[in-house]
Amino acid sequence: MIQVESLTKTFRDKARGDRAVVDQVSFEVRDGEIFGLLGPNGAGKTTTLRMLATLLKPSAGRALVDGHDVTAEPAEVRRRIGFLSGDTGLYHRLTPRETLRIFGRLNRMEEDRLRDRIDEVISMLSMQEFADIKVDKLSTGMRQRVGLARTLLHDPPILILDEPTSGLDVPTARVIEEFIVSARKSGKCILYSTHVMEEAEFLCDRIAVIHEGHIRIIGTMGELKAVTGRERLREIFLELLDSGGMRKAAVV
Amino acid sequence: MTFRMVKTIYLKEMLDMFRDRRSLISMIVVPVLAVPSLFAVVHYFTQNLGKKAQNESARVGISASVSQPGLTGALKSVGFELVPQTDARAAVENKSVAASLDLTRAADGTGQIVIYVDKTREASSIAAERLTAFLERLKLEQVKSSLRGLGVSERVLNPFTVKSTNVAPAKKMAGFILGSVLGYAVLLLMFTGGMYPAIDMTAGEKERHTMETLLASPASREEIVLGKVLATTTASFLTAMLTIASILISIQRAGLGQGGGEFERLVSRAAPDASTVVLVLLTLLPTALFAASVMIAIALFARGFKEAQSLLTPVVMAVVVPAVVGMLPGIELNVGLALIPVFNVSQLIKEIVLGEFSHLAFLAAFLSNVFYALVAFWFSVRIFKTESVLFRS
Ligand SMILES: Nc1ncnc2c1ncn2[C@@H]1O[C@H](COP(=O)(O)OP(=O)(O)OP(=O)(O)O)[C@@H](O)[C@H]1O
Ligand SMILES: [Mg+2]
Repeated sequence: MIQVESLTKTFRDKARGDRAVVDQVSFEVRDGEIFGLLGPNGAGKTTTLRMLATLLKPSAGRALVDGHDVTAEPAEVRRRIGFLSGDTGLYHRLTPRETLRIFGRLNRMEEDRLRDRIDEVISMLSMQEFADIKVDKLSTGMRQRVGLARTLLHDPPILILDEPTSGLDVPTARVIEEFIVSARKSGKCILYSTHVMEEAEFLCDRIAVIHEGHIRIIGTMGELKAVTGRERLREIFLELLDSGGMRKAAVV
Repeated sequence: MTFRMVKTIYLKEMLDMFRDRRSLISMIVVPVLAVPSLFAVVHYFTQNLGKKAQNESARVGISASVSQPGLTGALKSVGFELVPQTDARAAVENKSVAASLDLTRAADGTGQIVIYVDKTREASSIAAERLTAFLERLKLEQVKSSLRGLGVSERVLNPFTVKSTNVAPAKKMAGFILGSVLGYAVLLLMFTGGMYPAIDMTAGEKERHTMETLLASPASREEIVLGKVLATTTASFLTAMLTIASILISIQRAGLGQGGGEFERLVSRAAPDASTVVLVLLTLLPTALFAASVMIAIALFARGFKEAQSLLTPVVMAVVVPAVVGMLPGIELNVGLALIPVFNVSQLIKEIVLGEFSHLAFLAAFLSNVFYALVAFWFSVRIFKTESVLFRS
C-alpha cells in the first residue's frame, strides 16, 4: 500500500524563485489496485513518483510505502518497490539478460532463484529473441519490455511506473498494459503515471488528475464523468484542468 | 555495506567499461602506443635536431677585415664553411649564417676579433663555441711559437692540468632518466586512463538517465560509490601496468640491440629488476585509488559527458606540474614532501628506480595517498546523497 499525505516538493530556481512543483498532494493506493496519476506535461507526475522511489526528498508532508516512511527508511522502501523511470534507464552496452542479472543481485535475489526467474520473465514478456542482444540495438518497444522485466524481476509488492507506454505503438502498448493488469491480479499495488486519458480509462481502478502540482480530482472514471458532465475523454480531461481544485473534495 | 552488492556494481561497471570504445582506447591503446612514440620523440629531439644544429653551425660569416689567408685556411681545414660578409652582425641577425667574425681594435690598441652570435639559436651557440675554441687554440699556437723564438720551453704555459670526472656511473645516470620518465609518463597516463571510465559511470549515467534506476535499487549510496571507485581504480591501474610493461619491453629490446634508439640503449643500462617493478606497482596502487576517487567526485558534479570532460581535463593537466617538478634533479623525498599528492609518487618512483629511496618516505607516501583517496571517497558519497547535484537540469 502507498499512503501519501500533503506531499510537497519545492525546487529552488534562480530565475523563478522557490517553486512548489508538487503541492500538498494526498492519495492512497491499495494492494490489488491500479492507481493512475494523470496530468499534462510538467504537472508534477515524475517528481511525485521520484519522491516515492526515494530519489528526491519531500520538502513537506509524508509518504509511506508498505508502511515505511520514504524519508526515514529509504532502504526499506527501495527493497519493496519496482521503479520504472520515464525513459526506462537501461544500460545501452549491456544485454537484457545481463541487465536482469545485475538488478536481481542488487535486489538481493538468490543466484539459483535469479537464474530461473530471469528465464521466466524473459518468456513472460516474449523477450527470447533479443535477450542476448545489446540494448542499444533494440527498438523502443523491446526496451520498454526490458525495463518492465527489470521492474518486475524481484517480484516487488509495489510497482511505480512512470509513463510506461509513452512512445510505443498501439500493439506494444497493449502488451505492456495487459502485463500491468495481470500484475494487479497477483495483488500488487500499482501507481502509474500517464498523460493519456484513454489509457487511464482502460487500466486504472482510480485516477487522480494532477495539474501544476495540485490534485484536481480523485475518483473512478465513472465519477470523473459524472463530475464533469462530459462523455468524451478528451473533454473530461480538459474540463478538469480548467476548473480549480474546488470540486475535488466532493468526490474524494 | 555488503560485499555482494559492491561486487555486483563493480562487475557491472567493468562490463560496461570493456564495451566502451573510448574507455578502451584511453586504457589500453594509448599506453601501448604512447611509450614507443614518447621514446621516438625524445630520440628525434636528441638526435635529429642536434644533428641539424651541428650541420648549420658550420656556416660562418667573415668580414673582409679578418679575411687573411692564414686564418681562413685554418678555419676551412677544421670544417667551417666561410661566407664573406660586408655586415657581419646583420648576417647573423637575418640568420643567413650561424655566426660571424669581424675585426675591431680593443681599448689597448690590440686587434680584437668579434664573434657575432644569436644565443637563442642552438646552431649559432654551437658555432660561437667552436669559433671561440678554435681562436683560443690559434692564439696558444702563436704564443708557443713566440716562446720557441725566445728559447723558452712551452711547458711554462702548462704548470698543471685540470680534469673533471663524473662519479655517477652510467647506470645511475640511466636510472635517473628512466625513473623520471617512468614517474611522469605513468602518472599522466594513469589519470587519462581512468578519466573516461570515471566520466562514463557518473556524468554519463546521469546523461543517459540510468543513474535513476540504480539509485532506486536497494544498493546503498556507499556501495554504489565504492563499486564505481574500484572499477575506475582498476582502469587506472591497468593503464599503469600496461605503460610500465610497454616501457620495459622497449628497453629490453634496445638492450638486446633489437631496434630502439640511442635513448633506449642508454636507459637499458638501468633496466629495473623484478623487485623494483613490484615496488613501483605497490606505490601506484594507492595512487590509482586516489586518482579514481578524485575523478569520480569531480565528474559527479557534471550534468553530462561534455561538462565532465571540461572539468577533468584541467585536473589531468594539473597532474603534469607536480610530476614534472618531481623530474628535476636535486630533490629528495622526505616525509613532509611525501605528503604532497602526485608529486610524492613521481619522486618516489624515480628514487625506487635509482635504488635509493627511504622506507619512511615510502610509507608516508603510501598512507597519504590512501588517506586522500578516503577523503575523496567520502566526498563522493556526500555528493551521491545530494539530490540537487544528481538531478540538476
Ligand atoms: N530537478 C529539478 N529542478 C528544478 N525543477 C524541476 C526539477 N525536476 C523537475 N522540475 C520542474 O518541475 C515541474 C514538474 O516536473 P515533472 O517532471 O514532475 O512533470 P511531469 O508531470 O512528469 O511532466 P512530463 O509529462 O513532461 O513528464 C516542471 O516544471 C519541471 O521543470
Ligand atoms: Mg514525467
